[in-house]
Amino acid sequence: MREAWWAELLKVRRSRLPWITGLAFAIAALVCGMFMFILADPARARAFGLIGGKAQLSGASADWPGYLALLAQAVAVGGLGIYGLVAIWLFGREFSDRTAIDLLALPTSRTAVVAAKFAIAALWALLLALLLAGLGLLIGALLDLPAWSAPGVAAGVGHLLATAGLAAVTTTPLALAASIGRGYLAAVGVLFAVIFAAQVIAALGYGAVFPWSVPGLYAGIAGPDQDPPGILGVGLVAATGAAGAVATAWWWNRADHAR
Amino acid sequence: MTAPAIEIARLSKRYRDLTAVDDVTLRVERGQIYALLGLNGAGKTTLIRMLLGMIAPTAGAVRVLGADVPSGDRAAWAKVGYLVEAAAAYPELTVRENLDVVRRLRRLPGTGVDPVGDIIDRLALAPYADRRARTLSLGNLQRLALAKALIHAPALLILDEPVNGLDPAGVAEIRALLASLAHRHGTTVFLSSHLLAEVARLATRVGILHHGRLVGEHDADHLDRHRRRHLRLATRDDDAARAVLRAHGYHPEPAPTGLLLADPRALAEPEQVAAVLVHGGAPPAELHLEEEDLEAFFLRTVAPDAAPELTEAGDA
Repeated sequence: MREAWWAELLKVRRSRLPWITGLAFAIAALVCGMFMFILADPARARAFGLIGGKAQLSGASADWPGYLALLAQAVAVGGLGIYGLVAIWLFGREFSDRTAIDLLALPTSRTAVVAAKFAIAALWALLLALLLAGLGLLIGALLDLPAWSAPGVAAGVGHLLATAGLAAVTTTPLALAASIGRGYLAAVGVLFAVIFAAQVIAALGYGAVFPWSVPGLYAGIAGPDQDPPGILGVGLVAATGAAGAVATAWWWNRADHAR
Repeated sequence: MTAPAIEIARLSKRYRDLTAVDDVTLRVERGQIYALLGLNGAGKTTLIRMLLGMIAPTAGAVRVLGADVPSGDRAAWAKVGYLVEAAAAYPELTVRENLDVVRRLRRLPGTGVDPVGDIIDRLALAPYADRRARTLSLGNLQRLALAKALIHAPALLILDEPVNGLDPAGVAEIRALLASLAHRHGTTVFLSSHLLAEVARLATRVGILHHGRLVGEHDADHLDRHRRRHLRLATRDDDAARAVLRAHGYHPEPAPTGLLLADPRALAEPEQVAAVLVHGGAPPAELHLEEEDLEAFFLRTVAPDAAPELTEAGDA
């Protein structure tokens, strides 16, 4: 798998997508920081008009626990979209660029190629989450947010990273969609459908049993009154991730590559 | 005993109502250059993809360098290079990087002998080595695809329409390269094409695929035997000429202009035909030996009604 890992890493390094996704996460950290900035002073919030109004509606508190919770919610919602796009790009590009065929009859197995792509996706997700956490800590320090405690912040960062992990794991079926759809288009459609369904199902109160709603619930996006997803929800996320990865590897190995 | 390079037995691929490949059996010996000819949609690419384990056969067996491909045996892939359909490369990677990806995935050494530099030189890609693939012309992209297929000095090359997109000089260059690989290094080449005249100059054996079926196999050296030839002659009085020829044991057939003679004796000694006509009082105004070209032979084989007229081979 080392060879496939090297090849995937080179392709990622030569792409603009890591920079674009990094920028998206940086913007998320800045927007959450702006929310904190506004919430810290209600008068300033009114001066910001609409943005101030929305910031107050977020229910977040302008302190370290509140900021880190907001960042975790951002990664739960935005992460599904961004991580989903990463998975779709990693697999879909091979079909859009018609390079998939060059990966099918090699000493390096197709399973190794698929595993390398998922490993790159996992590393990419981790780096983006670390970027968000790092920028969050920097912005929080610049804003001089109250209620700092090392254990509290460590727990908040851990929560953020765990949310990112849950969001990333749910994207493996999108790799399958990009493979079966032999390109980006169908998989992006699936991504939009999943994001939409996650919102609706969570709003209906069944988010704990819908894997793509679980990261948001875990991040506390439904508010303090909502129970966290629990073992069942997390287990469903793990099962979905594993099923997506196994099905993708199976498809690459067994499907007719007639196009 | 060394296994043949390719063994295909009763191979079929069916998609619901469509039979893409129908009960094909063929064998390619080591060192052979085998050309699979067929019109677009004949099933060439499907057959090649089955050879490479990309499509599972509906029925039949495929062995490549002794490996049972449909069962998932991947033993052959280290010794097989391939190019299927359109050339492609990672557009944001340079030519060298694209080849480096293949080198890694083929587990070739990166130190000592430099397979990337070597293949760049052999395929005349040096001027483009550090250019991104997205900026390459179609011809150079095809060259890069061939470089990817050849980088590991394969024992078997499987090429689907390998000269697509190349200009005439590029076609000649690739033809020379493939011939050199086969003759000097013993590389087996299995290629598909729809251009019989082109592959007949390169291949040692030719198979013709039509509607998924292998309708003919010929040694390239013996293709001439199957090509139609006849004498076309014109006189001032074709009826008199026909009577003279019949009287001398020939079998002239009327043509829209003049007469046609396909008797072996006439084809072997056309000057005797001329002499007979002169002495019989119906001297020929024109006498041509016409020979079916390879494309016409191919078209007659796959679609008899579509075969064009024979072309002129020489005057007698």
